[in-house]
Amino acid sequence: MTPIERFARAWGRSVHDASYVLLANDERDAFFLDLTERIAAAMTADRFDPAVGYRVGADLASTEEIAPEALGRTITELSTRFLPALDLCGVIGRDRLTALIEAFSMGYATALHDHTLDRQEAVRRADIAARSEAEMALRRSEERLRHAALHDSLTGLPNRAQLIHWLGELRTDAAAPARFGVCLIGLDRFHSVNNSLGYSAGDRLLIAAARRLSQLPEGIACHLGGDEFALLIRGTAEPEEAIKAADRALAALRTPFEVDGHELPLSASAGVVERAVRDGDPTDALRAAAMALHWAKVEGRDRWSFFDEDRNAGAVARYRLSAEMPGALARGEFRLVYQPMVDLATGAVVGFESLARWDHPELGLLSPDRFIGLAEDSGFILPLGMHLLERACRQAVRWHGDGAEPPFVSVNLAARQLCHPGLAAEVAIILDRVGLPPHRLQLEITEHAAMTAEGEALGNVRALAGMAVRVALDDFGTGYCGLSYLRRLPVHAIKLAGSFVAGLDGDSTASRTDEAVLAALVHLGHTLRLTVTAEGIESERQRAKLLALGCDVGQGWLLGRPASPEKLFG
Amino acid sequence: MTDRPDWAPADVDHNTATVARAYDYLLGGSHNFAADRALARQMISAVPDVKVQARANRAFLHRTTRYLLDQGIRQFLDIGSGIPTVGNVHEIAQKVDTAARVAYVDIDPIAVAHSRQILATNEGATAIREDFANPGAILEHPSVVELLDFDEPMGLLLVALLHAVRDERDPYGALEVLKERLAPGSYLVIGHGTHDQHPAAVKAVAEAVSRTATPLALRSHAEILRFFDGFEMVDPGLVWSSEWRPDSPDDQPSNPTGYIYGGVGRKP
Repeated sequence: MTPIERFARAWGRSVHDASYVLLANDERDAFFLDLTERIAAAMTADRFDPAVGYRVGADLASTEEIAPEALGRTITELSTRFLPALDLCGVIGRDRLTALIEAFSMGYATALHDHTLDRQEAVRRADIAARSEAEMALRRSEERLRHAALHDSLTGLPNRAQLIHWLGELRTDAAAPARFGVCLIGLDRFHSVNNSLGYSAGDRLLIAAARRLSQLPEGIACHLGGDEFALLIRGTAEPEEAIKAADRALAALRTPFEVDGHELPLSASAGVVERAVRDGDPTDALRAAAMALHWAKVEGRDRWSFFDEDRNAGAVARYRLSAEMPGALARGEFRLVYQPMVDLATGAVVGFESLARWDHPELGLLSPDRFIGLAEDSGFILPLGMHLLERACRQAVRWHGDGAEPPFVSVNLAARQLCHPGLAAEVAIILDRVGLPPHRLQLEITEHAAMTAEGEALGNVRALAGMAVRVALDDFGTGYCGLSYLRRLPVHAIKLAGSFVAGLDGDSTASRTDEAVLAALVHLGHTLRLTVTAEGIESERQRAKLLALGCDVGQGWLLGRPASPEKLFG
Repeated sequence: MTDRPDWAPADVDHNTATVARAYDYLLGGSHNFAADRALARQMISAVPDVKVQARANRAFLHRTTRYLLDQGIRQFLDIGSGIPTVGNVHEIAQKVDTAARVAYVDIDPIAVAHSRQILATNEGATAIREDFANPGAILEHPSVVELLDFDEPMGLLLVALLHAVRDERDPYGALEVLKERLAPGSYLVIGHGTHDQHPAAVKAVAEAVSRTATPLALRSHAEILRFFDGFEMVDPGLVWSSEWRPDSPDDQPSNPTGYIYGGVGRKP
């Protein structure tokens, strides 16, 4: 080992303890040997250059992190051991060594200072980078949240909130077009896909449908949730444009979809609105489109329907009427009129059909076709029907037969009432409370309701017949089904539809056909031991023909118009 | 993908000290802020030779890294890597094999951002911000998955990390997830602070650190040994970190023992 190597190793070791970064031994030895050789060369050079010391000091300070002790120890090593170790005592002057140490210290301190500044700058850059990255992350998550709030998570299309926002913008945005259209699109019977193939297949179908709709050039496709989509068309010229877009959308959805290897045929219905931006609140367009979509579905699906203000007014009026019914019942606005049912052979009154009327304070007297359907839809038919049934029964109790059997009362039952589980029991309670013998009550059910009767309805008819209440089939002969249901139902009477009777007036072929049908129906009724009643008799000729056909009972203006009990019974 | 930001800007605050940057200061680094230096000074007043301890801890990391390299390990997952200026694992590893790969993981966003600056041009090393207590996120992080091959043995370095994870954050469970994922022949390196020897002094340090995001969780020898469950301990086992395979007797600091245990385990 040379003296230089020996000195370098000792120097390195003394600094090592003060070094934060532990170089491997051989690396350390090589590093300090280099420094020592450079110092030795400078010291022994003919022309002394203290700058070498400066650079060595800078290099030492640059060996990554180094403790303050390193400087002190180096000065000690150089000032006390360098000259003796290299056997240079007397050869090199102390002044040269002092100058070198001074330069070394300056180089060390300057480099340390520079490095500290560099590192401080680096960590501040890191601080700024971390902050901006954090802010970007925040912005990204805000963007994600914003996107999630305004888009459907399944299909990625703009959602209802976004559509409403856009519609709102139409009014506030100065650059908005003058007219716009909205097509609300509902997939027909989508739930059956979910039910039969599972929700994941349903989801894939929705995604595929969304893709097709979003490719339509006419408008912006939105997914309002479930099976409901919408197209927003900005800047229409006339309703035709929105209708064409709806047509295109329905056509696009009509091509069968391929999902999980199944070919799924699909149809859709659309509600279309097209209007001027200034015509009211654009967000109302969505409500209007929903109403039009409802019409399209009611009309049989796989079609579009254009929103029509008059039609909507009608729907609104019906809705209002429906909502008024409970109050009207409480205020006693519903009443009954009675129409006689006459034995065609003797002319004797055998019964009265009770018919409901609504004395509407604004609309005047309303007939059942204006409100019974609404009551069925709302469910109000159940309390209303029972109330009217009890009123009719109370009326019937007062009737006397003048020695013969007193007339029965015939009350219409709605299909919904027939399916009501408690019907037979409630009728029994009313008869009991009122004191009317069951055989003096006849309940009229439509042929259609009877035909489709099953479960509760069938049980009700059987229970009513079982307690001797008469059951009549109304509008008989208008159903399109076989007659096999007659075997299942214990009915007592059939009422022939008034349309057949109306045909009896002429001598045409059609009239002769009606007569033949009536004859067959009367024969069928009698074969089944049913009383046959004919409705709508308005002329003497009709009465005579029906009598000739063997019809038992007649009803109609000729035989007696519906009238209030006060008029009829005093 | 959650709707929560990866981290909030409020997390990046150089007015709040972090252990990572205080440790950098103790190692003589300049990558720290006033709050970090104040914390470091509090630690120094509790344990005067805490700088020596920091250095001994760093030396332990270097020796174990070199030991793993000698065993043929060429990829490292260094969790709790801190400010990576002072003797980086990737520098040591890539000096031995330029193809060596190192993934650094730390919870301190500034440490990670700084690491990324340093590693910008280094294809064999990456730095991600993640929490050790969330090992699934570490294992599935795209940068980690891209860099490391979990079918090959690797070195999992947890030097001065676990004593910053309290039991309520389930460090044993988290480590189990990581150990499970390692290929046989992988190594686990742990350096862990303890109060076994100097309870009072260590308590004072713990108090100083308690207000940071990573309060101390000091453990006994037996508790630390439990982290190695299922692994074979490499000689000399779990010992004072400066006594773990010193390069030469004079490499040891004057009074190094009593604060940090170190050990290496191998997955059979």
